[in-house]
Amino acid sequence: MQRLVDLAVSAVLLAGLYAAMAYGLGLVYGVLRVVNLAHAGVIMAGAYAGWVLHRALGLDPYLSLPLVVAGSFVLGVGVYVLLVRHLPRGAAGGPQSLLLLFGVWLVLRNVAYLLFTGDDHVIRTGYSTRAVPFLGTWLPVNRLAVFGIAVAVPLALHLLLRHTYAGRAIRAVAQNADSCTLVGIDVERVYALTFGLGTALAGLAGLLSATLFSFNPAFGSSELLKSFVVVVLGGLGSIAGTGVAALILASVEAYSILVLPAYLTSAVGFVMLVVVLVLRPGGLFGQRVLG
Amino acid sequence: MTPRPAVLRLFLAATLLLGSPAAARAQGGGGARPVKIGATLPLTGAEARIGGFFKEGYDLAFEQANARGGLQVGGTKVPVQLLLQDDTSTQATAVSLADRLINSDRVDFLLGTYASHLVQAQSGVAEQNRVPYVNGGGGATDIYRRGYKYLFGLIAPVELLGDTLMSWIDAEQKAGRLPRPARIALLWENTAHGKDFRKGVSDFVGKRKDAYQILVDDSFELSGKDFSALLGKVKAAGVDLFLVDAHLPDYITMHRQYIGAAMCNKAESYGARGSEKAAVDALGQANVDYVLSSVWWNAQLARTNPQAKVFVDAFQARYHKEPEWFQALAYESARALFTAIEQAGTLDRKAVRDRLAALKIPSLLPGGTLEFPADHGQQAQNTFVVQQNMPDGTAPIVFPPEVATAKGVAPNPRCPR
Amino acid sequence: MTGGRRRPLPAWFSGRVAAGLAVAVVVLAVLPVALDPYTHNLLTLTFLAISGALAWNWMGGYLGQVSFGHAAFFGFGGFVAARVLLHESIPPWVAWAAGAAAAGLFSVGAYPILRLRGPYFSIATIGLGEASRIVFTYLEGFTGGASGLSLPIDPDLKARLYWWALGLLALVAAASHLIRRSTLGLELLAIKSDVEAAADAGVPTALRQDVVLALSAAVAGATGGLSASFFAFVEPNDLFGFDRSISFVLMAVIGGVGSVFGPVLGAVVFVALRQWLVASYPQLYLGLYGGLLILIILFEPLGLTGVALRVARRFGYRARPDLALGSSAARPGRPASEAR
Repeated sequence: MQRLVDLAVSAVLLAGLYAAMAYGLGLVYGVLRVVNLAHAGVIMAGAYAGWVLHRALGLDPYLSLPLVVAGSFVLGVGVYVLLVRHLPRGAAGGPQSLLLLFGVWLVLRNVAYLLFTGDDHVIRTGYSTRAVPFLGTWLPVNRLAVFGIAVAVPLALHLLLRHTYAGRAIRAVAQNADSCTLVGIDVERVYALTFGLGTALAGLAGLLSATLFSFNPAFGSSELLKSFVVVVLGGLGSIAGTGVAALILASVEAYSILVLPAYLTSAVGFVMLVVVLVLRPGGLFGQRVLG
Repeated sequence: MTPRPAVLRLFLAATLLLGSPAAARAQGGGGARPVKIGATLPLTGAEARIGGFFKEGYDLAFEQANARGGLQVGGTKVPVQLLLQDDTSTQATAVSLADRLINSDRVDFLLGTYASHLVQAQSGVAEQNRVPYVNGGGGATDIYRRGYKYLFGLIAPVELLGDTLMSWIDAEQKAGRLPRPARIALLWENTAHGKDFRKGVSDFVGKRKDAYQILVDDSFELSGKDFSALLGKVKAAGVDLFLVDAHLPDYITMHRQYIGAAMCNKAESYGARGSEKAAVDALGQANVDYVLSSVWWNAQLARTNPQAKVFVDAFQARYHKEPEWFQALAYESARALFTAIEQAGTLDRKAVRDRLAALKIPSLLPGGTLEFPADHGQQAQNTFVVQQNMPDGTAPIVFPPEVATAKGVAPNPRCPR
Repeated sequence: MTGGRRRPLPAWFSGRVAAGLAVAVVVLAVLPVALDPYTHNLLTLTFLAISGALAWNWMGGYLGQVSFGHAAFFGFGGFVAARVLLHESIPPWVAWAAGAAAAGLFSVGAYPILRLRGPYFSIATIGLGEASRIVFTYLEGFTGGASGLSLPIDPDLKARLYWWALGLLALVAAASHLIRRSTLGLELLAIKSDVEAAADAGVPTALRQDVVLALSAAVAGATGGLSASFFAFVEPNDLFGFDRSISFVLMAVIGGVGSVFGPVLGAVVFVALRQWLVASYPQLYLGLYGGLLILIILFEPLGLTGVALRVARRFGYRARPDLALGSSAARPGRPASEAR
């Protein structure tokens, strides 16, 4: 019984991180219809940014958060303005956007490799291994912090999107970009802003992950795929859906150890991805991925 | 005329030109033609750090040999030359480069790369071309079970790593410091290395079923991120001994989560990992105290082994740091090859190969002797040394007793009673 | 050709392409007398790479379904072939054929993902590739697990692989041309542009896609089998790896995704670049490919084929529209003369 509780707690904590990662990806796809494979690269960049700031300035990762998020935002806007903007929008741009951003991801990986070599790194702080007791198990302090931030930031963003002009503009563009031009919304600026927000969240997720796990330039690929699972399962633009989907994914991963050998549990996310795409293309809260 | 086949031919011609060996042309020295020894190492890519260490070992051996004027081959002194290429930790590249070294650069012999799967693939090329291949980087026993005649492994099998660790544990158990029967959690990375470690431990336990029980026996993916579920399983099983085989990054990640889950066991080991500075930095000294590691070689052997002392002194003088097992094994591989060439008195590959097969020389390896026993596929079977992290930051050798520099501590004082 | 005197050749037969292909094959077949063993082996690997890239292009270029998981088929075919090769009494070509068939069947099992369009298909293939890698590394009985399988060494076979690989390449190249020029090619193009409209027009979309995937997978599996013979050692993390899947994508895109023989160029350049990079700038390998990808997508989606066509046009040559079709018909913002 205690094991089940332990696993549940583990799952909830992890779900927060997955939700944060996925929200940005879903935002970009929902508005721009672009699948951002470079999301993985930005996650990795966020991790390295936090590490560098920690090493160079002794800045605690949670304090360097605003810097990293801002930096990721700028990176995203930059990538959009320089590259993504030139792609045709819509279905015709499908594989091209995929490949373009994949190229960006490769470049990011190589830059990280040149700057930091392929070695694994980890951010270590005074409280890295501290834990608090809870429900008969121990909760690592940094996991709690990650959970808190991972939940708070997308939630805040969501509220922002609901109640500000920029947010409403974004949602309008997601619905029908052409009509937006007619009513005077600068669609290109909205696209740039959205892309930046998406990458900002990726950078946030990367920084948070870096406080928990070790990372190297290849970091981000499995996180990317898990984000896809959450996005497809939870539907786009639905914060509730994202949260529930993230919880489902994290729970399946956690509880799979009860039935599968530990090594195979790493395949669970990938299998879920394929299954979810094939069986539930509408997502839990309705968004077509077919046709 | 459609452009496609024409352009195809054009580009194939370009490939031929590019494929010609432009890199690594042998410099013809004045006088005797140097002995050309080829090798690839992961100088970039995932294993670049360790590839660099191996290079240090090779470089030192070659410098020393040439400082003496070269190798005594028959009546003349012949300089040695290392043709080193970067295989980027990729199998196809390692094989391709070996092919190039043998067939284009015309090396006389080959030294090995680092990582079992690369050695396994590359040694095939060497065997096909009948080129002696001496390696200190591929420890998986499968490599040596193929009946190859030209392959020589200086690096003892990883099974012995597990076996040596268990031997120390056994000694502690017999002295009453560890429970009997002792319950074991055995976790291993799903690689050839991990599988061999697991085999070593389970074979040992198989012979001593009265004294040990393996309650958890699970593999995990290399570079896994979240071990909390797996660690939860271990915690729930209630074991005494926590034995893991992992690479450095997984060691750090897993141990951090282990500590964070307030876990502690009477003996903890991560296979060949333990005392690395990176781990101490990442985890904090207190958290790695009393962790055991079992390695192929350690600089402390210099206290009891004269060859080791000579090596450590030379290495310190050259690189201003203490060598670890990577550099030692690389150095010794090169030295073994040199010795065989000198003993054979010729550069004929078959003769050198036969000399290597019959080689028995004093060595810096634990046990003091190096040979390549035929009944183990020409893989050396030297014992490992077990180290334990101490609170003062040192990691003395605690086993085998002949080379130990301190007494091991069991059960783990970090755990509350 | 004058009508009435002899039966007209089928529409998909082009004398010029057939002749060109035949000449290329003959030249390559006799080339080894002038080659050192290293280049000989390098060319063998190049032929395998080209076959794989061409086959990938049937999915990614003709059908528009970009697969990031082709290593799954390469690996499965490779391991099936390796298992058969362990029985030395069976001739190698049987093993390779078995690998190809197995990979084709494996792909049939994966057919549900064909219902997905565009990026969702691609993402599903990433999942497929990675899941295959992990599961097959776990299935030690089949793949030998992380230790892999060692095959008996046969230097003669390794040398002869050159011609086997060349034969496979000739077949795949001919097939690439035939598929494109046939009705099947038109149907694939229709599916790529708008699957629902194609279905409405009477194209059996599901069946066609299954067939193309099976063929593509079978060729990938065949190259996996030949590769197993070449290296005499197969290991699941290597055969099923994401890097391998990516290499298929890169080869086709660099060469010209959607064109008929573009992937040939792409594969040759990819292999040549890798050799050169490994010697001189191994640490730039990823970034270079990434940069190339970006440049290609932004400036010349037809990759090197597109560049070659532009150069050829400068010299007055006008390519036939069907020979080098771009990845999609509708591309806003591009001048009409470039739309092919």
